[in-house]
Amino acid sequence: MVVKQEEKSVFDREELMTGTDAVAEAVKLVDVDVFAAYPIRPYTGVMDRLARFIANGDLDAEYIVADGEHSQFEIGKHASSVGARAFVGSSGVGWLYAMESIGVTATDRLPLVALVGNRALDDPGAFGVEHNDALLVRDLGWLLCWASTAQEALDTTLIAYRVAEDPKVRMPAAVAMDGGYLTHSQHMVRVPTKEAVRDFLPTYDLGNRRMHPDNPVSIAPQVNEDWVMELRRQNYEAAKRSRKVITSAYEEYNSIFHSDYEDPFIEETNVEDADTVLVGMGSAAVVARSVANEMRREGKKVGFLKIRWYRPYPTDEIRKALSNVSNVGIIERNFAMGAPDDGAITMHDLQSALYDSKNHPRVVDFIAGLGGREISKKEVRKMFEMTADKKSPKVSWIGLRE
Amino acid sequence: MMQTQKPHLIRLEVNYRGIFQKTLAYHISGDVVYAAHKEGKTAFSNGRYSDDPQRNGIPCANFAYFSKDLTEEDLEAEASASMDITEAEVVVVLDDTMVKGLEPWGGYGIRPINEKVVKDGVVLIVSNRKPADLIAQMEKKKFPYRIAILPGEASFAGLWYFKDDMTDVRVLGAIAKVAPEIASIDTVANYVASKYKSKEKAAAARKAYEEVKVSTVNAGEGIDWPYPKPILPGWKDFDEGVYVKGVKRGFQMGPRGQNRNPDFKRGTSKTQRPVVRFDLCTKCTLCWYDCPDEVFDPTTDGLYDVNYEYCTGCGRCAEVCPVEDCIVMVDELKFENQDSPYVLYKKDPENYVKWAEDKKGKERLMPSPVTGKGSTVSKVETPKPFKKGVVK
Amino acid sequence: MVEEVEEFKNANLYKGVHAVDLEELYTSGHRTCQGCESALVMRDFVKASGPRTVVTGATGCMYVANTSYMTTPWIVPWMHTQLAAGGASAVGMAAGLKALMRKGKIPKEKINVINFSGDLGAGDEGLGGLSGAMQSPYDLLVIVYDNESAANTDIQASGLTTWGAQTTFSPTGPAKRILHERWKKNLAAMMAIGHPNVKYVATSCATFPPTDYMNKVKKALSIGGPTLIHTIDPCPKGWDYHPRYSHVLGELAVKTGIFADYEIVNGEVRYTYDLRNKKRTPVREYLEKQGRFSHFLDEDYEYVQAKVDEMWDEWELPGILPIKAGLKVKK
Repeated sequence: MVVKQEEKSVFDREELMTGTDAVAEAVKLVDVDVFAAYPIRPYTGVMDRLARFIANGDLDAEYIVADGEHSQFEIGKHASSVGARAFVGSSGVGWLYAMESIGVTATDRLPLVALVGNRALDDPGAFGVEHNDALLVRDLGWLLCWASTAQEALDTTLIAYRVAEDPKVRMPAAVAMDGGYLTHSQHMVRVPTKEAVRDFLPTYDLGNRRMHPDNPVSIAPQVNEDWVMELRRQNYEAAKRSRKVITSAYEEYNSIFHSDYEDPFIEETNVEDADTVLVGMGSAAVVARSVANEMRREGKKVGFLKIRWYRPYPTDEIRKALSNVSNVGIIERNFAMGAPDDGAITMHDLQSALYDSKNHPRVVDFIAGLGGREISKKEVRKMFEMTADKKSPKVSWIGLRE
Repeated sequence: MMQTQKPHLIRLEVNYRGIFQKTLAYHISGDVVYAAHKEGKTAFSNGRYSDDPQRNGIPCANFAYFSKDLTEEDLEAEASASMDITEAEVVVVLDDTMVKGLEPWGGYGIRPINEKVVKDGVVLIVSNRKPADLIAQMEKKKFPYRIAILPGEASFAGLWYFKDDMTDVRVLGAIAKVAPEIASIDTVANYVASKYKSKEKAAAARKAYEEVKVSTVNAGEGIDWPYPKPILPGWKDFDEGVYVKGVKRGFQMGPRGQNRNPDFKRGTSKTQRPVVRFDLCTKCTLCWYDCPDEVFDPTTDGLYDVNYEYCTGCGRCAEVCPVEDCIVMVDELKFENQDSPYVLYKKDPENYVKWAEDKKGKERLMPSPVTGKGSTVSKVETPKPFKKGVVK
Repeated sequence: MVEEVEEFKNANLYKGVHAVDLEELYTSGHRTCQGCESALVMRDFVKASGPRTVVTGATGCMYVANTSYMTTPWIVPWMHTQLAAGGASAVGMAAGLKALMRKGKIPKEKINVINFSGDLGAGDEGLGGLSGAMQSPYDLLVIVYDNESAANTDIQASGLTTWGAQTTFSPTGPAKRILHERWKKNLAAMMAIGHPNVKYVATSCATFPPTDYMNKVKKALSIGGPTLIHTIDPCPKGWDYHPRYSHVLGELAVKTGIFADYEIVNGEVRYTYDLRNKKRTPVREYLEKQGRFSHFLDEDYEYVQAKVDEMWDEWELPGILPIKAGLKVKK
C-alpha cells in the first residue's frame, strides 16, 4: 500500500490494539476531562488503559474509581453538566446497575459517551457476548452503534463525541462492541494525530445549559402532566435530527482521515444484486462478510448487510438496500422471551422498517452466538442457505446442542 | 336526525387544605359516592394526582361524579376525570380562606375558587362568615349560581392524628341539601349511621342539612379576577434540555427588595398571616432568620417587612418572636390586599398600630403542637400601647 | 459565641445572627410545606456558601417541592440528581470543574460544590455513593437533610426514622402498635469513622442554635476535601405537628439529646450541644408534640428515653460512637 504524503500528517502511528485499547486511544485523543471507572469484564480494558495513560502522564483528566456503576455514570453525567467532556462504560449487569443513571443522562440531554463491552446478563454469571445489555437502552434517547473492528472502534468513538455534542443533537452516545471478541482481539490500528482530531471535533460547549455560577440555571425541575409530552417531543426531534448530523460527521471524517465509510449507518457487502441477504451487527459481521464473499465466488447471489448505527435506526437505508431482495435472515446475538413470532430483538425493528416498504422480503431470524459462543463460517453458510430456503422456520437457533 | 340527549351528570369538587384536610376530604369524597350508590346511581371519585405529594396548607382537590343513567365507564369517559376537571355542578370548600384564590402548582397563576362552577351550580363553603363577605373575594361570573354556607370553623388535623369533629358528616348533610340529586338527606343519614355506627353522627348530618343557608349569587356579583392565567407554551416555544433560568440575582434593602420566583407565589396556602407591631420590635432578626419562605424583607432601620404574596402563614415568626404580642397570626380573610405593612407603618406609625390591633382583635388562638388536637383561645384585655421612638 | 479556631480563621464565620448575609440565593416561591425546616436548610447553606456555588439536589422533598417546572426558587445553579446519586453528583461536578480549570478551559476560582440529599437518599439507597464521595479527593460538601422519612412519597419509614414512629410503612394497628422497630442509623458518625481522610463531619439543626448550621457549612467549605453535614429537620407534615412549632421541635431534638449535635474536625470531636453528664430535657417532651407518636404508651417513651440515656452515658463517644466502655480486645 502506498501511503500518501498527506496521510502522514493526520496519523501519528500504527499500533496493535484491542477494541478497548482503540477506544481508550480515542478518549485520549478527544482530550477527555473526566472519566469514571468501575471494573467489570470485558469493557474494563478501556479503563485499564486510560488509567495507565494517567500514570504515565499521557492524559490530563480527572480519573475517578467509582463505588459502583450507578455512581460511575452519575459522575459522568454531572461532569458533563458543568461542561467537562466525560467518558464512562460498562458491560452486562454493570450496565444494568447503572440503568437509572443511563435513563436520566438521556432525558437531561447530556452528551456523555460510553463504551458497552457487550456481555451476557446474569444469572448464571457469564463473560461472553450478548447484545441484550446495550439493546436495553435503544429507546431511551441514547445514540447507539456497534463497532466490528478495532479501527472502527477508534473512528466511531471520535465520531460519537462529535455527534453527541452537536448543538442540534446533545444526546449521550454508546459505542458497543462484542465482549471477548473485539474487546480482546488485537489488530493494527491507525492512530490519528491530536491536531487532526482537534480539527474534526470542536470544543465541547453545552451553551446555556452549563452548570456554572456564571450561568445560573435550574436543570430538570419536577414536572407534572402538563409538560412531559412536550419535553419528550423535544427529545424525539433531537433523535430525528441526529441522522443528518451523523451523515455530515462521517463525510468530514472521511475527508480528514481518508477513511471509506460509504454509508455511516450500514455497510453493504454484495447486497445490491443479491436475492438473499443476512443482516447482523458487531463481530459476527466480520465472519459473515467473509462467507458472503466466498459464496459469491461460488456464484450464489448472497449479500451481507451490517448495521452500524442502531439508534437512530437506519430505516431508509435498510429499505433501500433491501428493495430488491427476496430473502432476509438476521443474525441475532440477543434473546427476547415471548416476543412476537418468538423472534429476537432486532428482527422486530427490521420487520417494522420493511412493513411500509414496497418490497416485502421473507424474513427469518437466527439466534446465534449467545453467551459468547462462536459463530463459525460454517454456521453463517448454513444461515445463508436456510434464508434462501422458503421452507425454513421463522426462527432458528444456530449452534445449539440438541 | 336524532338529537343526542345530554346525559345526567353531576360533578363535585372538594377543595381542601393539603395534609391538614386530606383525611377529611377523602372521607367526604368517598362517603358521598357510597350514599349515591345506595340510591342506585353510578358514582366514583378521585383525587387530583398532581396535588401529590401534598404540602401542608397548599390548596388541593378531590372530585366525585354521579349519574342516574350512565354506566361507570361512560361516566368516567364523560367526566374525563384523569387529572383535573374544568366544570363542576357542586364546589365544596372546606376552608373559607380559599375564596382568596388557589395556586396549587407553580406556573399556573392564582385561580378563583368558583372557576369551575356552572350556571345554577353551587359553591358550598364551611364558614362562619356572611355570604356577601365571601362573594366579595370571588370572581364575578356571567351567570347566576348559588352560594351555600355551612356554619363552622375549618377543621384541621395532621396525617396521623385525625380530629373527629363531625365536619365530614356535616358536609355530607349539606351536600344533600344543595344537591339532593346526588343523595337525599335520608339516604345520607342512614349511610352515616350504618358506617360510623353512630346516631350522633347521623343527627349531625341532619342538623347540617337544616343549618346550611343557600342564597343566589347574581351574574356580575363578585370581583374582576386580578390574576391572569398563564398560557402553557408549545414544545417548540421553549428551550430543549429540561432547564429553566434561575431567578435573577437581585437584592436591596427595603420592601420587595429581594428578587423572588415570579412564577410561583405561595400566598394562597395561608389561612392566617402575621401582623407585626413594628413599634415593639427589638430587631432580634429571628422572624427573618426562621422564615422558611424568605418573606421578611430587611429594611435600613433594622425592621423586617413582610411580603404577604409569598407568606404561607406557618406562624414560625410568631412563635420565635421573643416579644409578647409583637407578631400575631390573624385570620387571612380579615385582609383585603397584600400591601407592605412596613410602608403603612412608616407612613403613620400610630394609625398602623391602631389598624394592627383592630385586625388582631381580642382573641389569641394558640394551636396545639399536634394539629388535630385543636387550638386554645385566650383573651387579651388591653392591647399593648403604641411605643414611640423605636425606629431610628 | 463563635469560637475563633485556628483552622477556620479564613472561613468568615458569622459572629451572631446580625452578621448573617441579608441577600437570599434561594428565594421565595417554592412548594414546601408551611413551616418547613428543610427549606431553611436549603436557604441557609447557599447563603453561607455564596453565589459562586453549584448545587445538586437528590430526589426527595427538596427536589419535588422546590422546583415546579417551569419555575424555580434557585438563584444559584441547581440540578436534580437521582435519589442515590447525591455523592456521585458532587464528585462529577467537582471533578469536571477541577479539570476544566486546570486545563485552562474555564477561569480558575473557588466554586463551592454542594449536594443535598434526604435521609432516604443519602442514608439508605445512596449510602454507597456517599461513601464514594467521602473517599474522593475533591472539595465538596454533602448535606443530608433528615426529616426522618420519605416525606415526598407520603411519609414512609427510612433507615433514619425515629424508632416507633407512625409512617405509611409503619402504621399503628391492633395487632402491631409499633411497626417501625429499627433504631435510627448513626449516619454522620458512620461517615466520619469510616472515612478517616474526611476533615469535617458535623450534625446540626438549621435554626438552633442560631448561625450554628451556617457556620458549619462555612467550616466544611473552607477546610477542603469531601465534607458532610447531617441536619435534623422537623417536618410538620410527616411528624404531624402544627407548622408553627418547627423551631421548637428542632430545639428539643437537640436539647433532649435524641439528636446529638456535634462536629468532628480533623478527627477531633467538638460537641456543639454537650449533653454529657448533664440534665437532658426528657425525650417525652419532644415526642409528645408529634402526632406520629400519638400511639405511644408510657413504656414506649421509657424505651426511647433509655436508649437516649445509653447513647449519652454509656457510649465510647457519647452520642456518637456506639461502643460501650469496657469493651476489650480478645487476647
